[in-house]
Amino acid sequence: MKKTFVRTTLAFLTLAYVVAHFAGHAHAQSSLGIGTNDAIVPSSGLFSSLMIWINQHQQAFYRSLSTAMKALRDDGGQVWLLVGLSFAYGVFHAAGPGHGKAVISSYMLANEVALRRGVMLSFVSAFLQAATAIAVMLLAYFVLRGTSVSMTNAAHFLEIASYVFVTGFGAWLLWKKAGPLVKRLAGAAPAHSLSAAHASHAHHDHDHHDGHCGHDHHHGHHHDHAHHHEDGAVCSTCGHSHAPDPTLLSSERFDWRTAWSAVAAVGLRPCSGALIVLSFALLNGLWLAGILSVLAMALGTAITVSALAVLAVTAKNWAVMLAGGGRLGNRIHTAIEIGAAAFIFLVGLTLLSASLSV
Amino acid sequence: MTIKKPFKHTVLKTGVALSILLACTVPASVHPHVFAEARLDVVLGPDHQTVTALRHLWRFDDLFSSTVLMEFDANADLKLDDAELQEVASTIHASLAEFNYFQLVTVDGKDVKMKAPASIMANFENNQLIILFESQPETPIRLAGDIRLGVYDPTFYTAIDFTEDANMAVEGLPPSCTRTIIRPDPDTALAENQQTLTEAFFNDPAGTDMSKIFATKLELKCQA
Repeated sequence: MKKTFVRTTLAFLTLAYVVAHFAGHAHAQSSLGIGTNDAIVPSSGLFSSLMIWINQHQQAFYRSLSTAMKALRDDGGQVWLLVGLSFAYGVFHAAGPGHGKAVISSYMLANEVALRRGVMLSFVSAFLQAATAIAVMLLAYFVLRGTSVSMTNAAHFLEIASYVFVTGFGAWLLWKKAGPLVKRLAGAAPAHSLSAAHASHAHHDHDHHDGHCGHDHHHGHHHDHAHHHEDGAVCSTCGHSHAPDPTLLSSERFDWRTAWSAVAAVGLRPCSGALIVLSFALLNGLWLAGILSVLAMALGTAITVSALAVLAVTAKNWAVMLAGGGRLGNRIHTAIEIGAAAFIFLVGLTLLSASLSV
Repeated sequence: MTIKKPFKHTVLKTGVALSILLACTVPASVHPHVFAEARLDVVLGPDHQTVTALRHLWRFDDLFSSTVLMEFDANADLKLDDAELQEVASTIHASLAEFNYFQLVTVDGKDVKMKAPASIMANFENNQLIILFESQPETPIRLAGDIRLGVYDPTFYTAIDFTEDANMAVEGLPPSCTRTIIRPDPDTALAENQQTLTEAFFNDPAGTDMSKIFATKLELKCQA
């Protein structure tokens, strides 16, 4: 009875998640055959009015952005206006489509990453994406022009590379998260806590090295590290486990390689809006304005992606907390981690098949 | 053994928290990266009783046009000559085929089959790409009932704008017909179509195109 209820609830949630996310991944190539489209088409699900609102704002900012670019070409409009609009566009754009947000949020859900570090990853990936766009543009202008390789080809190649990365990254993460469970179910491992399990307050399931200090291990959802340092006077090792020393940050070491692969997977794919703005800028001798605009877009994108990632992690912590300590909390925690890893994998796979099939 | 009620309570609360988590990561919509100012001329038959062809003209925005220039400038002279424009036209012609050339044609709510245009013409004027093409219905559409014509990109990549009502024109429309331009308000359109959208969403998750609902339409109502 109990089990059935939990299972039904979880199954329903999973279904809702899958339906909401895979409703319309399609058309990575653009309908005009020139340029690449963002690969997620609006779903008409539960949040359609919110989406339309975001869409209208993105569109408005993008239109103003192109007007500002044209003004710059025609009579030297104002660069700061362009930069401001690009920033606003970035903020709304990231709230819209994009694998970046999905990958970073899911990565943070699947791993016990300190929020600050997650925010940093969002910023690095957004700026890497800007750098990719600039590199593609320079390549297109100085090298590819006059060859049979077009900018669309180059962007498409990077897009596929990015999706391959995302898929591989998801598969690897899934293996890491679900592997122990599979082994345990096969009876190979003893039945103790299998995830990184900072399922807050679930002390009895913790067996990591600094568990004896009596900290709650709020990695992730609290920012009061200073406070913990004061407590750390009693137990210096514990206090330090909150400092950015990677080996002590959490029981599961913060893995830079994992983090960088998430960043690279996201940053490899240049955003089509950025490419369009840059090509106009370059052709009209406004390269500085173009680069500033793209950097401002990246800043806006990074802010939104961070905010969404923080929201996702906070919600996860709530879910685990509300479930209380003990097995339910732990199970939910594990389920979220495995689900997030599986999600990255599926996103990668869906996007990859969409961009290869055209 | 736990008592059932508090347990259910916990699961419910957890469910709510999880839902918030899921909601946070729902992907929103794409938005157009390309803008085109469009003109549609509806061509009537000699007797003014049938629609025989649709003539389309799309003028693309400066930004997208510069991308096109960058892409198709094979001889690197920063101009698009005839051969290069031909390449642009055939690329677009091939890509649009999958999307019925962005056309929406219905009579009393039923889709009308359109023939693929024989070719597309591309031009580059004042830093703007212009494309022109003419398409015909498989059989001429009789001027009767409620005819709706629209142009939209189902993938949301291109925004096709009819900036003025006069840009959707019918020459020689008989007096038995009235011509209206419908510019759906997104919120109303959404509310009106909630039922169909929800159904379509469950029947064919990838195929629902809201852009169709939002497209500006030319409506011809004729007494037969």
